[in-house]
Parts: sequence; structure tokens; C-alpha cells
Amino acid sequence: MSNFLLEAKNLCKTYTLGRVKVPVLRGASFTLAQGEWVAILGSSGSGKSTLLHLLGLLDECDADSGGVWFDGNPVADLKFSARNAYRNQSVGFVFQFYHLLPELSVLENALLPNMVNAGMSWVSKRAQAQQHATELLDAFGLSHRLTHKPAELSGGERQRVAIARALANQPRVLLADEPTGNLDTKTGGEILDLIAAKHRKGLSIAMVTHDPAVAARADRVVKLVDGRVAGERD
Amino acid sequence: MYPVQLANRYLTSRIIPLIAVAAVALCVALVVIVVSVMSGFLDMLRASGRTLMGDVVITNPIRGIPWYGQLIETIEQLPQAQAATPLIDTYGLVRMPYPEGSEKEVVTTNVWGIDPSSFNRVTDFSNALYWKPPTSPQAAAAMLPDDPRLKLSDKILNDGLNVIKSDTGEPGLVLGIHVSIVNERRRDGSYIPRYSQWFMPLQSVTLTLVPISTKGTIAEPRERVFPVVNEFKSGVYQIDKNRVMISLDEAQKLLRLDAGTLYDMQAPPNADGTLPVLGTSPAKVHKVLVRAKPGVTPEELKAAVIGAYEKFALDVEFDPSKVVKAPRIGNLTIMTWEQQLRDLIAPVEKEREMMRILFSIVYLVCAGLVLSIFWAIVQEKTRDVGILRSVGASRFGILWIFLQYGLVIGAIGGLCGVGLGWLVIHNINFIHETIGQDAPAWSYVASFIIAAISFAMSVRGLTTGVLLSTLLWLVLGITITLVGIGLTLHHGTLIWDPSVYYFATIPDKVDWFTAITTWCGAVIFSVLGASIPAAKAADIHPVRALRYE
Repeated sequence: MSNFLLEAKNLCKTYTLGRVKVPVLRGASFTLAQGEWVAILGSSGSGKSTLLHLLGLLDECDADSGGVWFDGNPVADLKFSARNAYRNQSVGFVFQFYHLLPELSVLENALLPNMVNAGMSWVSKRAQAQQHATELLDAFGLSHRLTHKPAELSGGERQRVAIARALANQPRVLLADEPTGNLDTKTGGEILDLIAAKHRKGLSIAMVTHDPAVAARADRVVKLVDGRVAGERD
Repeated sequence: MYPVQLANRYLTSRIIPLIAVAAVALCVALVVIVVSVMSGFLDMLRASGRTLMGDVVITNPIRGIPWYGQLIETIEQLPQAQAATPLIDTYGLVRMPYPEGSEKEVVTTNVWGIDPSSFNRVTDFSNALYWKPPTSPQAAAAMLPDDPRLKLSDKILNDGLNVIKSDTGEPGLVLGIHVSIVNERRRDGSYIPRYSQWFMPLQSVTLTLVPISTKGTIAEPRERVFPVVNEFKSGVYQIDKNRVMISLDEAQKLLRLDAGTLYDMQAPPNADGTLPVLGTSPAKVHKVLVRAKPGVTPEELKAAVIGAYEKFALDVEFDPSKVVKAPRIGNLTIMTWEQQLRDLIAPVEKEREMMRILFSIVYLVCAGLVLSIFWAIVQEKTRDVGILRSVGASRFGILWIFLQYGLVIGAIGGLCGVGLGWLVIHNINFIHETIGQDAPAWSYVASFIIAAISFAMSVRGLTTGVLLSTLLWLVLGITITLVGIGLTLHHGTLIWDPSVYYFATIPDKVDWFTAITTWCGAVIFSVLGASIPAAKAADIHPVRALRYE
């Protein structure tokens, strides 16, 4: 039984571009303990986003490579519905480019994971979910923006909505892919402060970044070079 | 629930679904209009056929049906039959009272000799008579102020019903409303004499009939002057244009089908030089029309009439007082009105089915439109698919978003199409008559003014450097100019020619069966059209979707 909340061993991932096979991950391993904030640091093309996608089951690693364990259980063999449930409830994603749905309001974007989870029982669960999402957005300073569309928000506000969405179903792990990469230093700092606040309340975080200053906010830094872990430091 | 919410947002936040809805609506409207007109045409044909012929027709042309009074009695005893009437059906020449001078117009007509009282019980003759006073103050109020019917009394109706000029007691003649060129049809469907002095119920015509012997030879033509006592309008142009009616007695006399003495042509003459008398030669008719009782189908009545005719023929056969026997059942025809009009109805039925099949291609157009529009939408929404997958949405959920999208577009588009079809069908005669007239001056003047404004806006767009605005105004200006030129050159086009399509008006009832099936087809094919892009969306790899630029 592993002591880690999230663990990846010997992950390999090769993309095929036309006739060319491009290895992105070459046996990378990763661990994340409960309540830990780990930064995955690396230059462009080092495979850090791919590693995050594999940890979040957005992608699958090569057939003969290792695997991913969540709470000690292998997740590679999960069925489609269980993989969807894992992405919906166990982890939450934050992306560099926010990735909000432009047709939905701020509140509706933040409620999206709840809606997906509730399915046909959404009508009965709506009030409670809405209250939770409103509190979250209020805590992120977005109470005056609930009915606004993403296009009406600043970059920092959009990223805060994206974080609220990632936390809507109270996942145990936040998977953040360059969450400050598209923001100025001050706004990026504010976003990191929000994430740090959640981390202090027990949220486990795996955050991809190429910025050592951002990585410095984490408990531990895993350095990725050419698809392999090149080193770790606390 | 999120598929519903997202489908709703995708539908209401952009213009492309409206284009898809409009395209589906136009396709559905096209089918509804075309098939409704065809169905209405067929229904009118059927209704008119039955109204004018009863349900079952016994026919023995040329030789005729003797002892028809006895046959009618036998038939009217049937529980299935409501009434039966004898009929003479022949061709003749009618010399009209116009123009002025000695050279009068002569028209070839189909002449029906009718027994007025029984004919009115079998057919809808009293309703078909056109010249009669309004039946109620409301009906009078609905007529145009100069409608001649407002000044008529019941006398003209009764004269028409009895085919007799009551003032003089002369046998009269009823013309089809389009036999005379004097009657002019107006927009509201009423008729007015072009020249009041030739208002036909005040005129007389000369009818010439040619008797034909049982051997098929032509005898001396006979003619007689008849006062026109009324005109009838069946609604079937070909009938209203060609048919005239006189009383049965007069028709029989003119055709030598009336009762007479039957001489033995083979025997040697009597001492006084006359031929020995064999008996009575009964009056004959060409047809007997039979009306079914309510709830009895024409086929049921036909079977009963066949039985009744066989009984009648046997009774005549074994009646020694009747020298002239009834034709055997194999020598005459007994048909339902539909069989009688089969040559007319069958091609129209086939044309309608052909139209249905040909226009089914519209469903494919719906599917193709939705497919291409959705393909573009899925392309545009690729990143949304990735986002949804990252928050745990299933592939089925993604599929359902786009299928719902197609469902709503098909349902709303189909509904709009049915509505548009109803609107056009409901006003089709008004539209047709408007197209049939010269375009009013205000329409092309207004077109040219709007076009001038559009060109001015285009020039303004050019000066401000906005290319899209310039182009849009230019296209609008050119289009409106072309419309204006078209309206200027338009001098009325007759699309629905009554002489070709039998009826003076275009059917204006929606075929709701077709409307509903077309709506269902539009929904099904819209969903099918949406299914391919929807499946494509569901198959998009989440990571590739998130990285999609």
C-alpha cells in the first residue's frame, strides 16, 4: 500500500506526428503526498504538461510503460465512467489559458463539474451546489461578476473562475498547468496566493511551471528534463 | 443536465442555428405547400366527382337502359341506397345568343338530360345552381354590392331546379357557368356578366342533338330553342365549361329515346299498309346514378346494385308484356364514382406520390444542411469539448449536446416550415391573383427608392473605409434594383390555368398528414445530420481538444 495520494511510476508517452514518433515522457515517476504542493518544473517540451494530463487521466501512457495510482489504487484500468468520475471528483484541472466556456456565465462555469456530476438529479442538487459555488466565488472576490460572461472578465478574474470550477466538487488534488503563465507578475502572485490558501486548508497540488519563482512557492520541486525526472528539491 | 443547458446556450447565443432553422423551415414549407396543393386538388376532384355523379353509376351508352323506372324502384328498395335517378348523357351543339348580328357563337357541349326531382336527391344540384338569392342576411353582407344575386328572387332557383321557365311553362336549360363567355369571375369567386344585356338567365339558346340508332348510325339532327333558366357551378372547370342540362323528357325526345310503339319490321305489312305492332318501346336512359345512404361505402352499394340489377333484368326477362328486354349485366357497366373517374383520379394520385418521393430529397437537404452547419460548430467548439471532458463529462454527454442541438433545430425549423406552408396555402389564391396582375406602381417605385438608399449607404461605407458594410449595402442595392426591374417588367403571369387543372381556384387546405410526417422527417433527418458531427465531437481526444487552436 503506497503512502502517496497520487503516484506515477515509469511513465512513458510517445506522440506520433505523421510518420515520426516523438517520445515526450521517457520513464518519468512522480509522487504527491496528501496535503503536499509539488511543482513540476521544466522547460518547454520537457513533458511536464503531458505528465499532468496522465496524472489527471486526460491521456493514456504507452502500453508497455508504468502507471498511475490514486490513493493506492491503480487508475489505468478504470472503466470509462470511473475515469470520468475521477476527473470530476478526485482531481480538478486549472489551465494556463483558463479554458472557460464562453457561452456560460461565471457562476455557470463554476457549477459545471456539479452539473456533470449530478446528471438528471441536477434540479434537486442545484440549490446546494449554487450556494457552494457562490461562496467560493465570493471568497475569490468575484461576487459582483456572477452573471458576467468570461469575455467580460480580466485574465486574473478568469483564472480565479477556473480555480473555482476546479474546486467545485471539492477534489483532493488540484492539477494546475502553468496557472500564472498568461498573467502579469502581480496578478500571477494573487492567483498563487489563492492556491496557497487552499493548500493551507489541506488541498494537494501538482503544479506545472517553467518559472522557478513560481515553483519556489511549492513544498517540493520536481525537475523534468527531456521526459525524465532530473532531480528533486524541497 | 449540462447537455440541455449547453445546447440551449449554443442555440441562443449565435446566428448560425437561426440559419439552420430557416433552411429547415424553407425545406419543410416547400413540401407542405406542394403536396397540400396536390392533395387538395385530388380531394376537390373526388368531392366534385361524387357530388355530380352520386356513388354508383350504371351505364349503357348508345343502346340505353329500358324500363329504368322499374330499375330505379328496385334499387331504391335496397337498404344501402338512398335514391337513384335516370340520366341522358350525350353531346350537342349550343348556339349562343351573342355576338350581335346573325353570326352567333356555337359551342360543343356535353348535354345531360335530368329528372330534376330525383337528380337533386342523388347529386348536390340545388347547391350547384349559381344564380340564387343569398340564403341569409350574413351571406348577403358578404357579397359585393354590385353582385347580381342580391337582386334575384327564389323564382330563378326554382326554375333552375325544375329546369323549366315558370312564366311560360317552357322547358328550360341550365348552362355550366363557364359555357358562356359573358360570366366574369371576380377576386372573391363571384361572377358578374361582362355585358348586362347578355345575362344568361334572361337569354335563350338553341340546342342541337344528334340521335344515334342502336346500330350506331346517325339520324337527322334535332334542334330546339331553350330559355336559359339558370347556370350551375360544380367547381370542376372542365364540367362548368362544357356541360348543359335539360329535362330528361326533352333530351329523350331530341334523341328519340322516348317511349313509342314497337313494330315488327320482319313481318309482312297489315292490310292497311302498317306494320304489325309488337308492343311498346320503352323510354331509355344512358345512365342511372345511385346515391348511398349515410355510412354505406360506394363499394358496398355497388355490390347491392349489381344484385338489384340482376333481379330487375330477370323480372323484365320473364315479363311477357315487355317485348324489349333489359341488357344483360355483362353488357353494361356498374361502377363506383371513383372507378368512373379513375382515368382522371389515378394520374393525379400517382403524381402526388411521385411528388412526395421526389420532395423527400428535401429531407436529405435538411440532413446535409444540419451536418455541414454542425461540422463547423463542432470545429469551433472543439476546445469546449476538451474542457467538458476535463471536468468529467462523458462522451455520451458530449454526443447528447449536439444531438439535442439537431433535435431542436429540426423541431423548431419544421414547426416554422409548417406555419409558413399554412400561411402560403391559406392565401394561395390571393398570391396567385396578385401574381396574375400587373405590379402596382408603388411597388417598383418603392424598390428603386430603397435601392438608391442602399447604394448611398454603400458609398458612405466606402468613404468611411468599412469594406463589409460597403459590400452588404451594395449587394442589397443590386438585389432590390433587380426586384424593382422585375416588378416593372411584370405584367401578370397565370400559373394555375383552370383549363389545365380543372378547377377555377387553387386548393387552399393544408394536408395535415403530410405536414406532420414532413415535420417528423425534418426532425429525424436533422438529428441524423447532427449525429455525425456529434459523434466526431465525442471522439475528440481531450488533450488534443484542449490544445486546439
